[in-house]
Amino acid sequence: MGDLIQLIVSGIATGAIYALAALGFTLLWQAAGVINFSQGEFVMLPAFAILLFIALGAPLWLAFLLACVAAMLVLGIGFKWVIVDPLIRHGVIPLVIATLGLSIGLKSTLKAGYSAEAHPFPSPFPGGQFSIADVNISYADIGTLVVAGFVVISLQLFLNRTVTGRAMQAVAQNTDAAKVLGIDVKRMVLYTFLINAVLAAVAALLVTPTYLAKFDMGDAIGQKAFFAAIIGGFNQTRGALLGGVLIGVLENLVGFYVSPAYKEGVALILFLVVIVFRPEGLLGRAEERKV
Amino acid sequence: MEGCGEMTPTARFLEVKDVRKAYGAIKAVDGVSFAVGPGEIVGVIGPNGSGKTTLFNSILGQIKPSSGNVDFCGEEITGMSPLQLSRRGVGRTFQTLQVFGKLSVRDNLIVAAQEFQGTMPARLLAPPDAGLGQHADEMIEFFGLRHVAQLPAGSLSYGQQKLIDIAMAFMPKPRLVLLDEPCAGVNPSLVDQLRALLIDLNKAQGGSFVVIEHNMDFIMKLCPHVICMVEGKVLAEGPPETVQANRQVLEAYLGN
Repeated sequence: MGDLIQLIVSGIATGAIYALAALGFTLLWQAAGVINFSQGEFVMLPAFAILLFIALGAPLWLAFLLACVAAMLVLGIGFKWVIVDPLIRHGVIPLVIATLGLSIGLKSTLKAGYSAEAHPFPSPFPGGQFSIADVNISYADIGTLVVAGFVVISLQLFLNRTVTGRAMQAVAQNTDAAKVLGIDVKRMVLYTFLINAVLAAVAALLVTPTYLAKFDMGDAIGQKAFFAAIIGGFNQTRGALLGGVLIGVLENLVGFYVSPAYKEGVALILFLVVIVFRPEGLLGRAEERKV
Repeated sequence: MEGCGEMTPTARFLEVKDVRKAYGAIKAVDGVSFAVGPGEIVGVIGPNGSGKTTLFNSILGQIKPSSGNVDFCGEEITGMSPLQLSRRGVGRTFQTLQVFGKLSVRDNLIVAAQEFQGTMPARLLAPPDAGLGQHADEMIEFFGLRHVAQLPAGSLSYGQQKLIDIAMAFMPKPRLVLLDEPCAGVNPSLVDQLRALLIDLNKAQGGSFVVIEHNMDFIMKLCPHVICMVEGKVLAEGPPETVQANRQVLEAYLGN
Protein backbone atom coordinates (compact mmCIF):
# COMPACT_ATOMS: atom_id res chain seq x y z
CA MET A 1 0.00 0.00 0.00
CA GLY A 2 2.86 2.31 0.93
CA ASP A 3 4.53 1.62 -2.42
CA LEU A 4 1.34 2.37 -4.27
CA ILE A 5 0.82 5.76 -2.63
CA GLN A 6 4.48 6.64 -3.13
CA LEU A 7 4.26 5.73 -6.81
CA ILE A 8 1.09 7.73 -7.26
CA VAL A 9 2.49 10.84 -5.57
CA SER A 10 5.73 10.82 -7.56
CA GLY A 11 3.70 9.97 -10.69
CA ILE A 12 1.49 12.99 -10.16
CA ALA A 13 4.62 15.14 -9.71
CA THR A 14 6.16 13.91 -12.97
CA GLY A 15 2.77 14.18 -14.66
CA ALA A 16 2.43 17.77 -13.50
CA ILE A 17 5.60 18.60 -15.45
CA TYR A 18 4.21 16.91 -18.58
CA ALA A 19 1.02 18.84 -17.96
CA LEU A 20 2.85 22.19 -17.98
CA ALA A 21 4.31 21.47 -21.41
CA ALA A 22 0.98 20.03 -22.59
CA LEU A 23 -0.85 23.13 -21.37
CA GLY A 24 1.38 25.27 -23.59
CA PHE A 25 0.58 22.94 -26.46
CA THR A 26 -3.17 23.31 -26.10
CA LEU A 27 -3.02 27.07 -25.49
CA LEU A 28 -1.06 27.60 -28.71
CA TRP A 29 -3.49 25.40 -30.61
CA GLN A 30 -6.59 27.10 -29.24
CA ALA A 31 -5.46 30.67 -29.65
CA ALA A 32 -3.34 30.49 -32.78
CA GLY A 33 -4.05 27.16 -34.49
CA VAL A 34 -0.38 26.23 -34.03
CA ILE A 35 0.78 22.69 -33.27
CA ASN A 36 4.29 23.09 -31.94
CA PHE A 37 6.31 19.93 -32.45
CA SER A 38 9.38 21.63 -31.01
CA GLN A 39 7.71 21.95 -27.59
CA GLY A 40 10.27 19.54 -26.13
CA GLU A 41 13.13 21.75 -27.30
CA PHE A 42 11.24 24.71 -25.82
CA VAL A 43 11.87 22.95 -22.48
CA MET A 44 15.46 21.98 -23.32
CA LEU A 45 16.62 25.51 -24.24
CA PRO A 46 15.62 27.21 -20.95
CA ALA A 47 17.38 24.36 -19.11
CA PHE A 48 20.64 25.27 -20.84
CA ALA A 49 19.90 28.98 -20.38
CA ILE A 50 19.58 28.40 -16.62
CA LEU A 51 22.93 26.54 -16.62
CA LEU A 52 24.50 29.40 -18.59
CA PHE A 53 23.30 32.04 -16.12
CA ILE A 54 24.47 29.88 -13.21
CA ALA A 55 27.90 29.59 -14.88
CA LEU A 56 27.93 33.38 -15.11
CA GLY A 57 27.51 33.54 -11.34
CA ALA A 58 23.75 33.88 -10.82
CA PRO A 59 22.05 31.88 -8.06
CA LEU A 60 19.46 29.33 -9.27
CA TRP A 61 16.39 31.53 -8.64
CA LEU A 62 17.89 34.46 -10.52
CA ALA A 63 19.10 32.20 -13.33
CA PHE A 64 15.55 30.86 -13.61
CA LEU A 65 14.01 34.33 -13.78
CA LEU A 66 16.54 35.41 -16.41
CA ALA A 67 15.82 32.22 -18.36
CA CYS A 68 12.10 33.05 -18.23
CA VAL A 69 12.78 36.47 -19.74
CA ALA A 70 15.07 34.96 -22.37
CA ALA A 71 12.45 32.30 -23.16
CA MET A 72 9.75 34.95 -23.58
CA LEU A 73 11.97 36.88 -25.98
CA VAL A 74 13.28 33.93 -28.02
CA LEU A 75 10.65 31.18 -27.70
CA GLY A 76 7.73 33.59 -27.37
CA ILE A 77 8.22 36.68 -29.50
CA GLY A 78 11.05 35.33 -31.69
CA PHE A 79 9.28 32.05 -32.50
CA LYS A 80 6.07 33.90 -33.35
CA TRP A 81 7.74 36.52 -35.56
CA VAL A 82 10.25 34.37 -37.38
CA ILE A 83 8.34 31.12 -37.86
CA VAL A 84 4.64 31.37 -37.05
CA ASP A 85 3.65 34.74 -38.54
CA PRO A 86 5.04 34.10 -42.04
CA LEU A 87 3.65 30.54 -42.21
CA ILE A 88 0.33 30.62 -40.38
CA ARG A 89 -1.66 31.89 -43.36
CA HIS A 90 -0.63 28.80 -45.33
CA GLY A 91 -2.43 26.49 -42.93
CA VAL A 92 -1.45 23.95 -40.30
CA ILE A 93 0.76 21.57 -42.29
CA PRO A 94 3.61 23.98 -43.22
CA LEU A 95 3.84 24.99 -39.57
CA VAL A 96 3.92 21.37 -38.44
CA ILE A 97 6.81 20.73 -40.82
CA ALA A 98 8.55 23.93 -39.75
CA THR A 99 8.32 23.10 -36.04
CA LEU A 100 9.53 19.54 -36.69
CA GLY A 101 12.47 21.08 -38.55
CA LEU A 102 13.04 23.56 -35.75
CA SER A 103 13.15 20.69 -33.27
CA ILE A 104 15.84 18.86 -35.26
CA GLY A 105 17.73 22.09 -35.93
CA LEU A 106 17.84 23.13 -32.28
CA LYS A 107 18.99 19.72 -31.11
CA SER A 108 21.68 19.39 -33.77
CA THR A 109 22.93 22.94 -33.24
CA LEU A 110 23.29 22.40 -29.52
CA LYS A 111 24.89 19.00 -29.97
CA ALA A 112 27.41 20.14 -32.57
CA GLY A 113 27.94 23.66 -31.24
CA TYR A 114 28.04 23.05 -27.51
CA SER A 115 27.88 19.57 -26.12
CA ALA A 116 26.46 16.10 -26.65
CA GLU A 117 26.93 15.24 -22.97
CA ALA A 118 24.35 15.21 -20.21
CA HIS A 119 24.98 18.04 -17.76
CA PRO A 120 23.95 17.86 -14.11
CA PHE A 121 21.34 20.39 -13.09
CA PRO A 122 20.77 21.73 -9.57
CA SER A 123 17.46 20.85 -7.95
CA PRO A 124 15.48 23.81 -6.64
CA PHE A 125 14.29 21.62 -3.75
CA PRO A 126 16.13 20.06 -0.80
CA GLY A 127 17.16 16.42 -1.16
CA GLY A 128 15.83 13.69 1.08
CA GLN A 129 12.35 12.59 1.97
CA PHE A 130 9.89 12.45 4.79
CA SER A 131 7.64 9.69 6.02
CA ILE A 132 3.97 9.64 6.86
CA ALA A 133 2.91 6.26 8.22
CA ASP A 134 4.97 3.91 6.05
CA VAL A 135 4.89 6.16 3.00
CA ASN A 136 8.10 7.94 1.97
CA ILE A 137 7.63 11.09 -0.05
CA SER A 138 10.55 13.10 -1.43
CA TYR A 139 10.77 16.84 -0.95
CA ALA A 140 11.44 17.13 -4.68
CA ASP A 141 8.07 15.55 -5.53
CA ILE A 142 6.22 17.80 -3.11
CA GLY A 143 8.12 20.86 -4.36
CA THR A 144 7.35 19.97 -7.96
CA LEU A 145 3.67 19.57 -7.15
CA VAL A 146 3.53 22.87 -5.29
CA VAL A 147 5.29 24.83 -8.04
CA ALA A 148 3.38 23.20 -10.91
CA GLY A 149 0.11 23.55 -9.01
CA PHE A 150 0.80 27.21 -8.31
CA VAL A 151 1.56 27.89 -11.97
CA VAL A 152 -1.53 26.03 -13.20
CA ILE A 153 -3.87 27.70 -10.70
CA SER A 154 -2.41 31.15 -11.45
CA LEU A 155 -2.91 30.54 -15.15
CA GLN A 156 -6.51 29.41 -14.66
CA LEU A 157 -7.23 32.46 -12.49
CA PHE A 158 -5.66 34.71 -15.12
CA LEU A 159 -7.70 33.14 -17.93
CA ASN A 160 -11.00 33.09 -16.04
CA ARG A 161 -10.87 36.07 -13.71
CA THR A 162 -9.16 38.83 -15.64
CA VAL A 163 -10.43 40.91 -18.50
CA THR A 164 -7.41 40.03 -20.61
CA GLY A 165 -7.75 36.31 -19.84
CA ARG A 166 -11.36 36.34 -20.94
CA ALA A 167 -10.40 38.12 -24.15
CA MET A 168 -7.82 35.38 -24.78
CA GLN A 169 -10.54 32.77 -24.30
CA ALA A 170 -12.79 34.67 -26.68
CA VAL A 171 -10.04 34.66 -29.31
CA ALA A 172 -9.53 30.93 -28.81
CA GLN A 173 -13.25 30.24 -29.21
CA ASN A 174 -14.07 32.50 -32.13
CA THR A 175 -11.39 34.65 -33.72
CA ASP A 176 -13.65 36.41 -36.23
CA ALA A 177 -16.20 37.46 -33.64
CA ALA A 178 -13.42 38.61 -31.30
CA LYS A 179 -12.01 40.87 -34.03
CA VAL A 180 -15.37 42.48 -34.72
CA LEU A 181 -15.80 43.14 -30.99
CA GLY A 182 -12.59 45.14 -30.94
CA ILE A 183 -10.37 42.56 -29.26
CA ASP A 184 -6.78 42.91 -30.42
CA VAL A 185 -6.42 39.34 -31.63
CA LYS A 186 -2.73 39.69 -32.51
CA ARG A 187 -1.88 40.86 -29.03
CA MET A 188 -3.87 38.08 -27.38
CA VAL A 189 -2.09 35.53 -29.56
CA LEU A 190 1.26 37.07 -28.57
CA TYR A 191 0.31 36.71 -24.88
CA THR A 192 -0.34 33.02 -25.55
CA PHE A 193 3.15 32.57 -26.99
CA LEU A 194 4.66 34.37 -23.99
CA ILE A 195 2.72 32.16 -21.57
CA ASN A 196 3.84 29.06 -23.45
CA ALA A 197 7.47 30.18 -23.16
CA VAL A 198 7.16 30.68 -19.39
CA LEU A 199 5.41 27.30 -18.96
CA ALA A 200 8.31 25.68 -20.84
CA ALA A 201 10.85 27.45 -18.62
CA VAL A 202 9.06 26.26 -15.47
CA ALA A 203 8.91 22.72 -16.86
CA ALA A 204 12.66 22.96 -17.54
CA LEU A 205 13.36 24.00 -13.96
CA LEU A 206 11.33 21.08 -12.59
CA VAL A 207 12.23 18.29 -14.99
CA THR A 208 15.94 18.84 -15.66
CA PRO A 209 17.26 17.76 -12.23
CA THR A 210 15.90 14.28 -13.12
CA TYR A 211 16.35 14.23 -16.93
CA LEU A 212 19.71 16.11 -16.85
CA ALA A 213 20.40 18.88 -19.35
CA LYS A 214 21.05 17.19 -22.66
CA PHE A 215 20.46 18.20 -26.26
CA ASP A 216 17.82 15.48 -26.74
CA MET A 217 16.10 15.79 -23.35
CA GLY A 218 13.16 17.42 -25.13
CA ASP A 219 12.34 14.29 -27.15
CA ALA A 220 10.64 12.49 -24.29
CA ILE A 221 8.95 15.49 -22.72
CA GLY A 222 7.80 16.89 -26.08
CA GLN A 223 6.25 13.56 -27.04
CA LYS A 224 4.60 13.13 -23.68
CA ALA A 225 3.24 16.65 -23.72
CA PHE A 226 1.76 15.97 -27.15
CA PHE A 227 0.26 12.65 -26.04
CA ALA A 228 -1.03 14.24 -22.82
CA ALA A 229 -2.75 16.99 -24.81
CA ILE A 230 -4.40 14.47 -27.15
CA ILE A 231 -5.40 12.10 -24.34
CA GLY A 232 -7.01 14.87 -22.31
CA GLY A 233 -8.55 16.68 -25.25
CA PHE A 234 -6.61 19.04 -27.45
CA ASN A 235 -9.11 21.86 -27.12
CA GLN A 236 -9.38 21.77 -23.33
CA THR A 237 -6.81 23.18 -20.93
CA ARG A 238 -8.18 20.94 -18.19
CA GLY A 239 -7.66 18.02 -20.56
CA ALA A 240 -3.93 18.73 -20.77
CA LEU A 241 -3.68 18.56 -16.99
CA LEU A 242 -5.58 15.30 -16.79
CA GLY A 243 -3.58 13.77 -19.67
CA GLY A 244 -0.24 14.76 -18.12
CA VAL A 245 -1.07 13.41 -14.68
CA LEU A 246 -2.56 10.20 -16.10
CA ILE A 247 0.62 9.50 -18.08
CA GLY A 248 2.86 10.30 -15.11
CA VAL A 249 1.00 8.00 -12.71
CA LEU A 250 0.52 5.10 -15.13
CA GLU A 251 4.19 5.23 -16.16
CA ASN A 252 5.20 4.84 -12.53
CA LEU A 253 2.76 2.00 -11.86
CA VAL A 254 3.70 0.09 -15.02
CA GLY A 255 7.41 0.67 -14.34
CA PHE A 256 7.07 -0.78 -10.85
CA TYR A 257 4.45 -3.52 -11.17
CA VAL A 258 5.06 -4.70 -14.74
CA SER A 259 8.53 -3.84 -15.95
CA PRO A 260 10.61 -0.69 -16.26
CA ALA A 261 11.11 -1.70 -19.88
CA TYR A 262 7.47 -0.96 -20.67
CA LYS A 263 7.39 2.38 -18.87
CA GLU A 264 8.17 4.46 -21.92
CA GLY A 265 5.41 2.76 -23.92
CA VAL A 266 2.62 3.79 -21.54
CA ALA A 267 1.96 7.20 -23.06
CA LEU A 268 1.91 5.76 -26.56
CA ILE A 269 -0.52 2.96 -25.69
CA LEU A 270 -2.82 5.34 -23.81
CA PHE A 271 -2.65 7.69 -26.79
CA LEU A 272 -3.59 4.91 -29.23
CA VAL A 273 -6.49 3.74 -27.08
CA VAL A 274 -7.86 7.27 -26.78
CA ILE A 275 -7.42 7.98 -30.51
CA VAL A 276 -9.37 4.81 -31.40
CA PHE A 277 -12.17 4.98 -28.82
CA ARG A 278 -12.50 8.67 -28.01
CA PRO A 279 -10.68 10.73 -30.62
CA GLU A 280 -11.80 14.05 -29.11
CA GLY A 281 -9.91 13.16 -25.90
CA LEU A 282 -11.17 12.33 -22.42
CA LEU A 283 -12.40 15.84 -21.67
CA GLY A 284 -12.41 17.16 -25.23
CA ARG A 285 -15.32 18.17 -27.38
CA ALA A 286 -15.69 17.62 -31.09
CA GLU A 287 -13.69 20.39 -32.77
CA GLU A 288 -15.83 23.32 -33.83
CA ARG A 289 -13.31 25.81 -35.07
CA LYS A 290 -12.31 26.22 -38.67
CA VAL A 291 -8.70 25.42 -39.36
CA MET B 1 -22.43 58.08 -29.15
CA GLU B 2 -24.89 59.81 -31.47
CA GLY B 3 -23.73 61.14 -34.83
CA CYS B 4 -20.13 61.95 -35.64
CA GLY B 5 -19.39 64.18 -32.66
CA GLU B 6 -18.30 67.79 -32.81
CA MET B 7 -15.34 67.28 -35.11
CA THR B 8 -17.31 66.79 -38.29
CA PRO B 9 -20.76 68.23 -37.80
CA THR B 10 -21.56 68.49 -41.49
CA ALA B 11 -20.12 65.19 -42.64
CA ARG B 12 -22.39 62.41 -43.82
CA PHE B 13 -22.54 59.56 -41.35
CA LEU B 14 -21.99 56.43 -43.47
CA GLU B 15 -21.43 56.91 -47.15
CA VAL B 16 -20.92 53.96 -49.48
CA LYS B 17 -19.66 55.14 -52.87
CA ASP B 18 -19.66 52.94 -55.95
CA VAL B 19 -18.37 49.87 -54.10
CA ARG B 20 -17.52 46.91 -56.32
CA LYS B 21 -16.28 43.46 -55.45
CA ALA B 22 -15.55 40.87 -58.12
CA TYR B 23 -14.51 37.24 -57.70
CA GLY B 24 -13.05 36.46 -61.13
CA ALA B 25 -15.82 37.09 -63.64
CA ILE B 26 -18.52 37.15 -60.96
CA LYS B 27 -19.47 40.62 -59.83
CA ALA B 28 -20.73 40.04 -56.29
CA VAL B 29 -21.17 43.75 -55.64
CA ASP B 30 -21.44 45.91 -58.73
CA GLY B 31 -21.30 49.63 -58.09
CA VAL B 32 -23.41 50.07 -54.94
CA SER B 33 -23.84 53.55 -53.47
CA PHE B 34 -26.00 54.65 -50.56
CA ALA B 35 -25.85 56.80 -47.46
CA VAL B 36 -27.05 56.37 -43.90
CA GLY B 37 -27.74 59.31 -41.60
CA PRO B 38 -27.21 59.50 -37.83
CA GLY B 39 -29.79 57.41 -35.99
CA GLU B 40 -31.28 56.12 -39.23
CA ILE B 41 -32.37 52.49 -39.76
CA VAL B 42 -31.82 51.26 -43.30
CA GLY B 43 -32.96 47.86 -44.56
CA VAL B 44 -31.22 45.87 -47.27
CA ILE B 45 -33.30 43.24 -49.05
CA GLY B 46 -32.71 41.04 -52.08
CA PRO B 47 -32.62 37.41 -53.15
CA ASN B 48 -29.92 35.02 -51.94
CA GLY B 49 -26.66 35.67 -53.73
CA SER B 50 -27.51 39.29 -54.53
CA GLY B 51 -24.37 40.53 -52.77
CA LYS B 52 -25.83 41.80 -49.50
CA THR B 53 -23.40 40.06 -47.18
CA THR B 54 -20.46 40.78 -49.52
CA LEU B 55 -21.48 44.44 -49.28
CA PHE B 56 -21.46 44.20 -45.47
CA ASN B 57 -18.08 42.50 -45.52
CA SER B 58 -16.73 45.24 -47.80
CA ILE B 59 -17.97 47.98 -45.49
CA LEU B 60 -16.58 46.27 -42.42
CA GLY B 61 -13.13 45.37 -43.67
CA GLN B 62 -13.66 41.61 -43.68
CA ILE B 63 -12.92 41.75 -47.39
CA LYS B 64 -11.30 44.48 -49.46
CA PRO B 65 -13.56 45.90 -52.17
CA SER B 66 -12.16 45.80 -55.72
CA SER B 67 -12.97 49.50 -56.04
CA GLY B 68 -15.07 52.23 -54.49
CA ASN B 69 -14.99 53.98 -51.12
CA VAL B 70 -16.67 53.76 -47.76
CA ASP B 71 -16.65 56.89 -45.60
CA PHE B 72 -17.68 57.03 -41.97
CA CYS B 73 -18.05 60.43 -40.31
CA GLY B 74 -16.07 62.03 -43.11
CA GLU B 75 -13.17 59.61 -42.74
CA GLU B 76 -12.41 57.02 -45.36
CA ILE B 77 -12.65 53.58 -43.77
CA THR B 78 -12.31 51.43 -46.90
CA GLY B 79 -10.12 48.40 -46.13
CA MET B 80 -9.77 49.18 -42.44
CA SER B 81 -9.60 46.12 -40.20
CA PRO B 82 -12.61 45.11 -38.09
CA LEU B 83 -10.49 46.07 -35.07
CA GLN B 84 -9.93 49.64 -36.30
CA LEU B 85 -13.61 49.94 -37.18
CA SER B 86 -14.78 48.72 -33.83
CA ARG B 87 -12.62 51.40 -32.21
CA ARG B 88 -14.55 53.92 -34.32
CA GLY B 89 -17.86 52.61 -33.05
CA VAL B 90 -18.82 50.34 -35.93
CA GLY B 91 -20.10 46.87 -35.04
CA ARG B 92 -21.89 44.01 -36.72
CA THR B 93 -23.66 40.73 -36.28
CA PHE B 94 -23.20 37.76 -38.60
CA GLN B 95 -25.69 35.51 -40.36
CA THR B 96 -24.38 32.61 -38.31
CA LEU B 97 -24.07 32.63 -34.53
CA GLN B 98 -20.90 34.19 -33.17
CA VAL B 99 -21.30 33.79 -29.43
CA PHE B 100 -18.48 32.40 -27.28
CA GLY B 101 -20.07 29.08 -26.39
CA LYS B 102 -18.05 28.24 -23.29
CA LEU B 103 -18.40 31.66 -21.64
CA SER B 104 -21.52 32.51 -19.65
CA VAL B 105 -24.12 34.81 -21.20
CA ARG B 106 -23.02 37.60 -18.88
CA ASP B 107 -19.33 37.08 -19.73
CA ASN B 108 -20.21 37.13 -23.43
CA LEU B 109 -21.71 40.59 -22.98
CA ILE B 110 -18.77 41.82 -20.91
CA VAL B 111 -16.20 40.54 -23.38
CA ALA B 112 -18.11 42.33 -26.13
CA ALA B 113 -17.33 45.73 -24.65
CA GLN B 114 -14.29 45.25 -22.44
CA GLU B 115 -11.68 46.24 -25.01
CA PHE B 116 -12.97 49.78 -24.79
CA GLN B 117 -12.13 49.97 -21.11
CA GLY B 118 -8.87 51.75 -20.40
CA THR B 119 -5.28 50.94 -21.23
CA MET B 120 -3.62 47.54 -21.57
CA PRO B 121 -2.14 47.43 -18.01
CA ALA B 122 -5.49 48.64 -16.65
CA ARG B 123 -7.22 45.76 -18.42
CA LEU B 124 -4.72 43.28 -16.98
CA LEU B 125 -5.55 44.44 -13.47
CA ALA B 126 -9.20 45.33 -13.99
CA PRO B 127 -11.89 43.58 -11.92
CA PRO B 128 -13.31 40.50 -13.66
CA ASP B 129 -16.38 42.39 -14.90
CA ALA B 130 -14.20 45.23 -16.25
CA GLY B 131 -16.58 47.71 -14.64
CA LEU B 132 -19.20 46.59 -17.13
CA GLY B 133 -21.25 44.36 -14.84
CA GLN B 134 -24.08 46.85 -14.40
CA HIS B 135 -24.34 47.61 -18.10
CA ALA B 136 -24.25 43.88 -18.88
CA ASP B 137 -27.05 43.26 -16.37
CA GLU B 138 -29.12 46.03 -17.93
CA MET B 139 -28.71 44.48 -21.36
CA ILE B 140 -29.53 41.02 -19.97
CA GLU B 141 -32.72 42.48 -18.50
CA PHE B 142 -33.48 44.37 -21.71
CA PHE B 143 -33.17 41.22 -23.82
CA GLY B 144 -35.05 39.06 -21.30
CA LEU B 145 -32.09 36.78 -20.62
CA ARG B 146 -31.92 37.07 -16.84
CA HIS B 147 -32.87 33.46 -16.11
CA VAL B 148 -30.00 32.17 -18.29
CA ALA B 149 -27.40 34.86 -17.51
CA GLN B 150 -24.98 32.53 -15.74
CA LEU B 151 -25.28 29.58 -18.16
CA PRO B 152 -22.72 28.87 -20.89
CA ALA B 153 -23.99 30.59 -24.03
CA GLY B 154 -23.41 27.43 -26.06
CA SER B 155 -25.98 25.51 -23.99
CA LEU B 156 -28.89 27.77 -24.97
CA SER B 157 -31.38 27.52 -27.82
CA TYR B 158 -30.56 29.02 -31.20
CA GLY B 159 -33.05 31.86 -30.71
CA GLN B 160 -31.58 32.77 -27.32
CA GLN B 161 -28.06 32.69 -28.72
CA LYS B 162 -29.21 34.99 -31.52
CA LEU B 163 -30.45 37.46 -28.91
CA ILE B 164 -27.09 37.25 -27.10
CA ASP B 165 -25.34 37.83 -30.42
CA ILE B 166 -27.37 40.99 -31.00
CA ALA B 167 -27.00 42.16 -27.40
CA MET B 168 -23.21 41.75 -27.73
CA ALA B 169 -23.12 43.98 -30.80
CA PHE B 170 -24.86 46.71 -28.79
CA MET B 171 -22.78 46.38 -25.61
CA PRO B 172 -20.10 48.94 -26.62
CA LYS B 173 -22.91 51.41 -27.52
CA PRO B 174 -21.83 51.51 -31.16
CA ARG B 175 -22.59 54.41 -33.46
CA LEU B 176 -23.31 52.14 -36.41
CA VAL B 177 -24.37 48.48 -36.36
CA LEU B 178 -24.73 46.23 -39.37
CA LEU B 179 -27.15 43.40 -38.61
CA ASP B 180 -26.98 40.42 -40.96
CA GLU B 181 -30.32 38.56 -40.91
CA PRO B 182 -31.19 39.08 -37.24
CA CYS B 183 -34.45 37.09 -37.63
CA ALA B 184 -32.90 34.01 -39.26
CA GLY B 185 -33.68 30.96 -37.12
CA VAL B 186 -35.58 33.02 -34.54
CA ASN B 187 -38.96 31.69 -33.44
CA PRO B 188 -41.66 33.71 -35.30
CA SER B 189 -43.23 34.63 -31.97
CA LEU B 190 -39.96 36.37 -31.01
CA VAL B 191 -39.64 38.34 -34.23
CA ASP B 192 -42.03 41.11 -33.18
CA GLN B 193 -40.32 41.29 -29.82
CA LEU B 194 -36.93 41.56 -31.53
CA ARG B 195 -38.17 44.40 -33.71
CA ALA B 196 -39.47 46.25 -30.67
CA LEU B 197 -36.10 45.72 -28.93
CA LEU B 198 -34.21 47.14 -31.89
CA ILE B 199 -36.47 50.19 -32.09
CA ASP B 200 -36.01 50.78 -28.35
CA LEU B 201 -32.24 50.40 -28.68
CA ASN B 202 -32.23 52.82 -31.57
CA LYS B 203 -34.01 55.37 -29.39
CA ALA B 204 -31.95 54.65 -26.26
CA GLN B 205 -28.46 54.53 -27.79
CA GLY B 206 -29.08 56.67 -30.87
CA GLY B 207 -26.95 54.53 -33.18
CA SER B 208 -27.65 53.89 -36.86
CA PHE B 209 -28.50 50.40 -38.12
CA VAL B 210 -28.18 48.75 -41.49
CA VAL B 211 -30.23 45.53 -41.50
CA ILE B 212 -30.14 42.66 -43.99
CA GLU B 213 -33.27 40.55 -43.70
CA HIS B 214 -35.52 38.24 -45.71
CA ASN B 215 -38.46 38.62 -43.34
CA MET B 216 -40.33 41.32 -45.26
CA ASP B 217 -42.85 42.08 -42.54
CA PHE B 218 -39.98 42.66 -40.08
CA ILE B 219 -38.00 44.90 -42.37
CA MET B 220 -40.97 46.92 -43.63
CA LYS B 221 -42.06 47.74 -40.09
CA LEU B 222 -38.52 48.40 -38.78
CA CYS B 223 -36.87 50.40 -41.54
CA PRO B 224 -38.07 53.79 -42.81
CA HIS B 225 -35.63 53.39 -45.72
CA VAL B 226 -35.11 50.21 -47.74
CA ILE B 227 -32.59 49.24 -50.43
CA CYS B 228 -33.27 46.29 -52.73
CA MET B 229 -30.22 44.61 -54.23
CA VAL B 230 -30.31 42.20 -57.15
CA GLU B 231 -27.24 40.67 -58.82
CA GLY B 232 -24.88 43.00 -56.97
CA LYS B 233 -26.69 46.22 -57.97
CA VAL B 234 -29.16 48.49 -56.21
CA LEU B 235 -32.45 47.87 -58.01
CA ALA B 236 -34.60 50.23 -55.99
CA GLU B 237 -34.37 52.34 -52.87
CA GLY B 238 -36.76 54.47 -50.83
CA PRO B 239 -39.53 54.14 -48.25
CA PRO B 240 -40.63 50.52 -47.74
CA GLU B 241 -44.04 50.95 -49.42
CA THR B 242 -42.43 52.41 -52.55
CA VAL B 243 -39.82 49.65 -52.79
CA GLN B 244 -42.44 47.00 -52.13
CA ALA B 245 -44.61 48.34 -54.92
CA ASN B 246 -41.75 48.68 -57.42
CA ARG B 247 -42.48 46.42 -60.38
CA GLN B 248 -38.84 45.41 -60.93
CA VAL B 249 -38.51 44.47 -57.26
CA LEU B 250 -41.70 42.43 -57.45
CA GLU B 251 -40.44 40.57 -60.51
CA ALA B 252 -36.89 39.98 -59.24
CA TYR B 253 -37.48 39.28 -55.57
CA LEU B 254 -40.84 39.59 -53.95
CA GLY B 255 -42.89 37.71 -56.55
CA ASN B 256 -46.52 38.43 -57.17
